Amino acid sequence: MQPVVQFRNVNKYYGSSVAVDNLDLSIEPGQFVTLLGPSGCGKSTTLRMLGGFETPTSGEIYLDGKEISRLPPNKRNVNIVFQDYALFPHLSVRRNVAFGLELKGLASETIHKRTMELLSLVRLQEFADRMPAQLSGGQRQRVALMRALAPNPNVLLLDEPLSALDAKLRQQMQVELKSIQQTTGKTFIFVTHDQEEALTMSDVIVVMNSGRIEQMGDPHTLYSRPRSRFVANFIGESNFIEGTLKGTKGGLAAIEWNGSIVHAGLNGHDLQIGSRVAVALRPEAVSVFASKPVEKLAFEGRITQRLFKGDHTSLTIELPNGQAIVAQLDPVALSQITDDRVWIGWREEDAVALAD
Amino acid sequence: MRHYFSDAPKTALQASYWVFVIYLLLPLTLMMAMSFKDANFIAFPIGDWTLGWYAKVVQDKQFLEASGYSIFIALMTTIFATIMGVWIALLISAEGIWGRAAIFAFACLPAVVPGLINAISMRIFIRVLDIPTGTGAIILGHTVHAVPFVVIMVLTRLRSMPNNLIDAARDLGADSFIAFIRITIPFLAPALVGGMIFCVLTSIDDFVRTFFLGGYQPTLPMLIFAKVQGGMSPEINAMATLVLIVTAAVGLYAEHFTRRSRT
Repeated sequence: MQPVVQFRNVNKYYGSSVAVDNLDLSIEPGQFVTLLGPSGCGKSTTLRMLGGFETPTSGEIYLDGKEISRLPPNKRNVNIVFQDYALFPHLSVRRNVAFGLELKGLASETIHKRTMELLSLVRLQEFADRMPAQLSGGQRQRVALMRALAPNPNVLLLDEPLSALDAKLRQQMQVELKSIQQTTGKTFIFVTHDQEEALTMSDVIVVMNSGRIEQMGDPHTLYSRPRSRFVANFIGESNFIEGTLKGTKGGLAAIEWNGSIVHAGLNGHDLQIGSRVAVALRPEAVSVFASKPVEKLAFEGRITQRLFKGDHTSLTIELPNGQAIVAQLDPVALSQITDDRVWIGWREEDAVALAD
Repeated sequence: MRHYFSDAPKTALQASYWVFVIYLLLPLTLMMAMSFKDANFIAFPIGDWTLGWYAKVVQDKQFLEASGYSIFIALMTTIFATIMGVWIALLISAEGIWGRAAIFAFACLPAVVPGLINAISMRIFIRVLDIPTGTGAIILGHTVHAVPFVVIMVLTRLRSMPNNLIDAARDLGADSFIAFIRITIPFLAPALVGGMIFCVLTSIDDFVRTFFLGGYQPTLPMLIFAKVQGGMSPEINAMATLVLIVTAAVGLYAEHFTRRSRT
């Protein structure tokens, strides 16, 4: 299938600082793609280049196979939802949504019909004649979304559109965005720094750091098989233990750590025997035992902190070597732990070996 | 009593405010009262009341012509000053323009240069360029004076405009001209209306520039000035009262309009 969006060797410099560094990215049609990364990682610049608000310093951008790198925003069949919505304050909700359709020169009945259809999609028909200032944050968000969808773009760009909403509303909007994406079948490219948002909505997540792609894949792969320490740390939480790689066998790495050999998934990585490696371990993959288990490898430690999080409790366990490991326990598992002296262990396949 | 003493500064402030208001309004009230007096001289007491002076004024061809001329000059001034003012404000707010502070300072200079100096220099200027005194020269002089007010009002409004409104319009298919007409201008509307009314009022009110740049046809202030030189009469009071009421109404409307749009 031909990719709907393609970046080829795209660079963007601001003076001497690099915003986007030799970006190669292909996006398949109909997917919900998230560009995820910390602020300043180049995700917004990438989106703005696709929208036509920034011009690449070098490289090409293709939309449906056509080069668009230097076209102005009004000549591209993409539309954007801005972080602060950018609704036109002097136009009613209806006129805001109709704006792009009016510029296409459509007949007024067609415009009216399509506008009301779109507004009913987000249950805002009754608000058609209100002004943006009379709407709540969530309603404005939905108007901005429909305004961007109205001209029927190939690709919809969303620049951190949920960041101004409170937590509850943000979760509702995540579900709503995802369902609108599925009903319309359009390609959504969503920019966020919120990893939870990315995991919830995306078909594909592109993790960016310092203008480069760190890893790209579906949420599950990214979470369970991070390819770098940055990804393991940015998506979800991870414990890292550092040791020396002693050998590899059948997809597993044997690492010397804390006087024992621990095993971790190699994940297809080409790691040098004898080199320093890090093992990433998710808090929920750490098992905590009240007594030393018989046949499993386990390490003794002391609980130094308990953080109650509602549906789970987060324990910080300090090992004799000074390393702190965070474990996440559900109430049933927690009820077994009565003493601060515990043993921790994990399944080999839940640990991921990474270059340090 | 203690309470009263502790509020002494406040009481003094309030009292001086009311003194100021009386000082401001009393002459205007006197002027208006005299315009209803049925006698040829201005003095108390007002024995008989009349609307005769008003009837005389609205039938006075000279007065009507001067009013029309003043309004014509004010409208022309407003058109030119608004176009220039908006253009300068856009120039100053644009990114990557060199010397923005200098452009702003030069645009605002006419607002602080004393009217007389301004008028004399303009008079010399038009003579050098061989521009005749009269309508064109007056409009030129008034426009220069009005531009700074438009620039300041439009610039203030422009600075409160979210950056990405234009981006959003461009994204939805507008070229930069359509985005300007359909987004920027409506956004600026309150400032434009305020600035335009200000232009009209300063132009109609202006005496010094008009005096130096004008030809034989008198504007309203010049006509009143000429009549005053021939001796005060209740007719002048009636004229002045009419001008006062019309300008106050326009000014209040402008204030109301800009205030409403700001919220």
